[in-house]
Amino acid sequence: MAVQYTEQVLKISTEVATGCQGLQPPFCSAECPMHTDAMGYVRLVGEGRLDDAVRKIRERVFLPGTLGRVCAHPCEAVCRRESEFGQPIAVAALKRYAADKADKEELWDLAVGQPTGKKVAIVGSGPAGAQAAVDLRKAGHAVTIYEKLPVVGGMLRVGIPNYRLPDAVLDFEYTYLTKLGVEYKMGVEVGKQVSLVDLSLSYDAVVLAHGAHKGLMPNVNGAVCDGITNAVDFLRELAMTSKSKVLGKRVAVIGGGDVAIDCARSALRAGAEEVQLVTLEKENELPASPHEQEGAREEGVVFRCGWCLEETVSQGGRVSALRLKDCRSVKDENGQFNPRLGDQDTEIYCDTVIFATGQRVEDISGGAMAQTNGGRYVVDGDTLATAIPGVFVAGDAAGSTIVIQAMALGRKAALSVDRYLKGQDLTAGRDFKSEYTYESKFKVPLEAGTENIKRVHTQVLSADERTKTFAECDLGFDDEDALAEAQRCLQCECKKCMIECLMLNDFTRCPGELFGTFLGKGDIEPIVPYSCNMCNQCTLVCPEEYKMADIFAGMRKDMVKANHGKSPIKGHGAIDIHQKLSFSKMFTIKRKGRK
Amino acid sequence: MPGCSLPSYSPENISKTVQYLKNTYPELSVIQKCCGKPTKALGQVDLLKQRFGSLVQDIKDCEIDEMIVACQNCLNMLRESKEFKTVSLWEIMPKIGLPKELRGKAAGSDAVISIHDSCPVRQETAIHDGVRWVMQELGYKTVEPDCTRERTRCCGFGGMIVPANPDLAKRVMERRIKDMPTEQIVVYCAACRSSMLMGGGKAWHLLDLLWGPVVTKASQPPENVLASPVKAWINRYKSKVVIKRQIT
Repeated sequence: MAVQYTEQVLKISTEVATGCQGLQPPFCSAECPMHTDAMGYVRLVGEGRLDDAVRKIRERVFLPGTLGRVCAHPCEAVCRRESEFGQPIAVAALKRYAADKADKEELWDLAVGQPTGKKVAIVGSGPAGAQAAVDLRKAGHAVTIYEKLPVVGGMLRVGIPNYRLPDAVLDFEYTYLTKLGVEYKMGVEVGKQVSLVDLSLSYDAVVLAHGAHKGLMPNVNGAVCDGITNAVDFLRELAMTSKSKVLGKRVAVIGGGDVAIDCARSALRAGAEEVQLVTLEKENELPASPHEQEGAREEGVVFRCGWCLEETVSQGGRVSALRLKDCRSVKDENGQFNPRLGDQDTEIYCDTVIFATGQRVEDISGGAMAQTNGGRYVVDGDTLATAIPGVFVAGDAAGSTIVIQAMALGRKAALSVDRYLKGQDLTAGRDFKSEYTYESKFKVPLEAGTENIKRVHTQVLSADERTKTFAECDLGFDDEDALAEAQRCLQCECKKCMIECLMLNDFTRCPGELFGTFLGKGDIEPIVPYSCNMCNQCTLVCPEEYKMADIFAGMRKDMVKANHGKSPIKGHGAIDIHQKLSFSKMFTIKRKGRK
Repeated sequence: MPGCSLPSYSPENISKTVQYLKNTYPELSVIQKCCGKPTKALGQVDLLKQRFGSLVQDIKDCEIDEMIVACQNCLNMLRESKEFKTVSLWEIMPKIGLPKELRGKAAGSDAVISIHDSCPVRQETAIHDGVRWVMQELGYKTVEPDCTRERTRCCGFGGMIVPANPDLAKRVMERRIKDMPTEQIVVYCAACRSSMLMGGGKAWHLLDLLWGPVVTKASQPPENVLASPVKAWINRYKSKVVIKRQIT
């Protein structure tokens, strides 16, 4: 039965297929480069189902407790409670809560693919390298991580201070890799002890995920002297030894980003008596996260905003003061970094200077690979392949700037490596959009009566207590607050007709999918339109008021037309007979009334 | 015009309703014929034209000023055709009133009856009001499910899905029964009544409550006549004979 569908049926089907919101992802998970199902696990937390919440988180990421603490949570910036009321759901803190309360090895998916006989070397055990390792092990490849430090975790370990991310959390979550069978070569520096060429020869593929661990120091006037360091070196030494050799009592940190704040707050904890933060940006333009700024202020960090370092002054071979000039603006009309200085001068006293003014990817290829801004390797943006066959890049070395992005690039590189090892095309049929952040087109109006319920905040240690040690200062949610916060979630999905209609649930996830498939195939099983009760309940609840029953009725007509006037459904033979009788003389009558 | 399912269900209700209307409208004509809704639901466009056309001819033959219909599908079919002024039986009852002796007859009943509205007339407030007015006049205590009036749910019979997808139809019927706050249910469509019985409910047609004995908590509704084709067709024939005798 070749059915010719009428224009009207095709037209309304197209409207529904393109406009139905049923498969639009919520804003949070579309924005997350790893597409963590934030809406899903927040709902589960709100229902008190913490094991299920952890399983849901772990479907996408293996570091729930870590990300719950340090993720820059781009999901919260696009949360509907942010755009509507300026009170986003505390997605990250809820993830941490679920992880702290319920994560355990029994919930971990430790299945790995059949061994493929292929070997992959990954350089760096940070979030990008680790994610790539996880995904490649799951695909059945043998994976060895080369880590130059004696500890795993990369910047998570040596870039993020302990008071934000305790070692124990990281250690526990990284055991996942070992359990999957990932091998480590610790303390081996690629580019020094072993070359990239050696790796390329010994392995079937290589992923470079060694991060941006070279702290940048601008050229500043003044004699060469002691007491000056950069953020990367300072934080790494603290992370590994709990001490800093360079640190004195009066510290100036140069820079206004989150790393600068990490340095300032860490310096206080490591024994500094006075810490000043010197930034080019004005106070209201600081790039650092507001809650990090607030934490630093509470702890006594002095902000000197709108000042540019002109010259270091030294005494006895150690820095003793900084000469500053006021900074009128940081960027020029074209938005380029180009500070414009005024004519005001000032001097601040210090014995230690920490530059948190950027970091760079070090070349470990011996010049074999081209580098661009910040030392990032030149890669194909879609596949992360390089000019050298079998060598891929991930993480900050490929351009990510936050942990969750690094992980997404790790996953992307792993997808490419897997294809490469199977001899497949790196791009054919691949949905690149789903491999990184994208925008949700969800546009269902807010439910009438949705109120602005304020965000619930986590408990923190007092400023006095927290500057004494490197102990974690955010204490997270208690049960009551977590429930309240999770239940604030607006659950940005449209399932209205699917809640109402039993029939649709038998055939699809939403009308958009159903009619999209119909248009794609050019046909539909007759049982689908002939299962509609034509009750219009779906239309009644649909924000777009799509008339699904009209489409089904139109399809039925077209099917009858193609089937010589009869319904294609076998059981409808009875109705044919029924209808003939209902119009027959035997069962009908007309009696005209008289006075 | 009683439609199809009502005469197949109950010739007694046809007889009493015809008499009731005749008291108000002495010149009452009666037509027992299908409107062709099932043909339409199947998508048989050409057959529908022919069948609905034969009904239109009957109406014209009877020189009718206004059609009173007891079936919600007939109402929609006739209104869509825009050929005749058409009104629902349930909507005119409050206007013409109930026979005196029936008013308050169920005031002593211990039954609390859930109201199920027919989904083809979900937008017809006057019909919903009429049904509730009748229940109140009779003295029955009623209760509304969450999904009621314009938000009512299908009984499971709609769209001719029973022969096409009986398993799904059964689930829709059972779901609708779950919506009902009480065991006893009143409907104003004989097909809805049949669905409600199949879904496990105790369902009465509004005319059962009007013309029949007072229903209590313990009352058992009449059997599901429509589930037996033989009984249904015999009833349909009996209804025809009743009409023939009453309109002379």
